[in-house]
Formats: sequence, C-alpha cells, structure tokens
Amino acid sequence: MTEKNYKIMLSGYIDGELSPEENTEFENYLKSDPELQKELETFRKLKEVTGAMKYADVPEVVWENYWASLYRKLERGLGWIFLSIGVIIFVAFACYHLVQDFFLDTGQPIILKIALACGILGVIILMVSIIRERVFASTHDRYDEVQR
Amino acid sequence: MAKIAGGDKSAMRILVDRYKEKAYYLALGMVGNSDEAYDISQDAFIRVFKSAGKFVPGSRFFPWFYSIISNLCKDTLARRMKKEAPNINIDDCEFLLVDEATPESTVMREERAAEVRRAIMKLSFEDREIIMLKHFRDMSYDEIATLLKIPKGTVMSRLYYARKKLAGLLDEFN
Repeated sequence: MTEKNYKIMLSGYIDGELSPEENTEFENYLKSDPELQKELETFRKLKEVTGAMKYADVPEVVWENYWASLYRKLERGLGWIFLSIGVIIFVAFACYHLVQDFFLDTGQPIILKIALACGILGVIILMVSIIRERVFASTHDRYDEVQR
Repeated sequence: MAKIAGGDKSAMRILVDRYKEKAYYLALGMVGNSDEAYDISQDAFIRVFKSAGKFVPGSRFFPWFYSIISNLCKDTLARRMKKEAPNINIDDCEFLLVDEATPESTVMREERAAEVRRAIMKLSFEDREIIMLKHFRDMSYDEIATLLKIPKGTVMSRLYYARKKLAGLLDEFN
C-alpha cells in the first residue's frame, strides 16, 4: 500500500470505518510516519471542533406552518399555470381575429391599420424594455434585500 | 409515491412531515442561509410531487430526494455567484453555532462558530457537502455512499481531502 493510500485511510481510521485488519495495518504504519501522526492529530481536533457545533434551532412555529406554506406554494404554482394557459389562448385568439377581421379586411382604412400596427409595435417594444430592465435590476441590484 | 402521483393530499403530508427537517438541514448546510434553505426544501417537495409518477417503484426515496435538494442548492449558489454583489452576506448567517454546553465563554464560542462557518462556506460544493454529511449529519460512510451514489472508498478519499482543506482554512490549525 502506498503512502497516499494510508493518508486516505486516515479518515476511515478516525471515523471507525476501517475493518479490523485495515485498522491494524494502519496503526502499524502510523508508528513509522510522524507526518501522518501530525495529520491524525489535526483531524481529531477538527472533529472535536465541529463536534461541539450544532445547527441553529428553528422555531417550532416554522415547522407547524411548514405544510400550510408548502400547500399555498403548490396552489399558487397551479394557479399561475392555468392563468398563463388562459392568457396565451386568449392572446392567440385575439391576434387571429385582429388579423382576420381588421388587417385583412379591405374595407378598413389603411391609415387606421398603420396607426394600430404602430400602437401594437410600441406596446411590444415598451414591454420588452421594461421586462429587460426588471430582469437586469433583479440580478444586479445590490440593495434588493434592504427593506424600503 | 403512487398515492402522491395520484394527487393524494394526505400521502403528501405524511411525506413532508417525515422529511421536512432533513431536507431543510441538508440544504442549510449547503447554502448557509436559513431563508434560502427553507425555500429549497419546499421547492424540493414540489418537484417530488410533480415527478412522483416518474419514481421507480422499489427504489429508495431518500437518495432521489437528496439529488433534487443538491441540484436546487447548486442552482441557488450559482445564482448567488452570478450576482455582481451577492445580496446575502453569508458571514451574518448564523446557521451553525457552538453548543452552549462547551466550557468556553460566549465570546469565544461565537468567534469560533463564525470562523468555522466562514471556512465551511469557502469550501467547494463537493467538499462542503461531504463535510456537512459526516460532521453535522453524523452519517456513516455507507449512508453517504448511498446518498451520493459513490463507492465507500471515494467517500473516504473525498473526506480526507475536504478535511485537509477545512483544517487549512481554520486559524487554530495553522
């Protein structure tokens, strides 16, 4: 076994994860390697330091409300899906009828068609611009966690 | 899981009650922030509910659930890194504390906890993951191997290198 393998076994040794044979083999090698002995001490101390630590407690009320909060999230997610489907169908339907009944209608004045097309284009440009600004702000605003 | 796939609310609730704390603390160890960990744990359950139909009957639930949590944690950390100025100061997140039973003054306990927290959050995701599972969830090598879908020997070597890096980041070991 190489020196590198013994080093890796060090973790198993301090965690009690080596087989009895591996344990004996490791302990025999350990006696001859002062550097490994030093590393063993470091790892033991590290285990001691982290062993004295624990996760910060969570107030009981958080766990009591956990299911209710999760269920609300689920409901809202479902709500958004249905709303999005509805809006997409409605917009597609409106666009189809706008083209069929207005833009393709030869009876409508051409100036009115140009005006409406410009208006729609303007709204689209403004919406894209606002959405882009919001996305940029949400990823770059260093104060968005500050309560205003 | 079959009941959950069929939309059984009570089955969902049983699953949530059984795993909510595990999910939260696993995420907390990875992202170091309680609000984010809470959201990740809930999002993980939502993903489980949505893809319950894809769950292979007879396979173990927890490793699958853990991989969902782990991916969500990676996404959260990637989003945090992407921001020019991360809005969460991880130094302020006291997700790990020194046990009050230790014979140290409050100041010393707080200093030590802050140092360990900082050092843990400086580790790579993979190193932090294995440290948190072993040192703070007290899992055996077999349990970690099952969870991370890696051989037991890899658990040992990953732990060795992660511990070495962690010790290198702590003043009292240098």
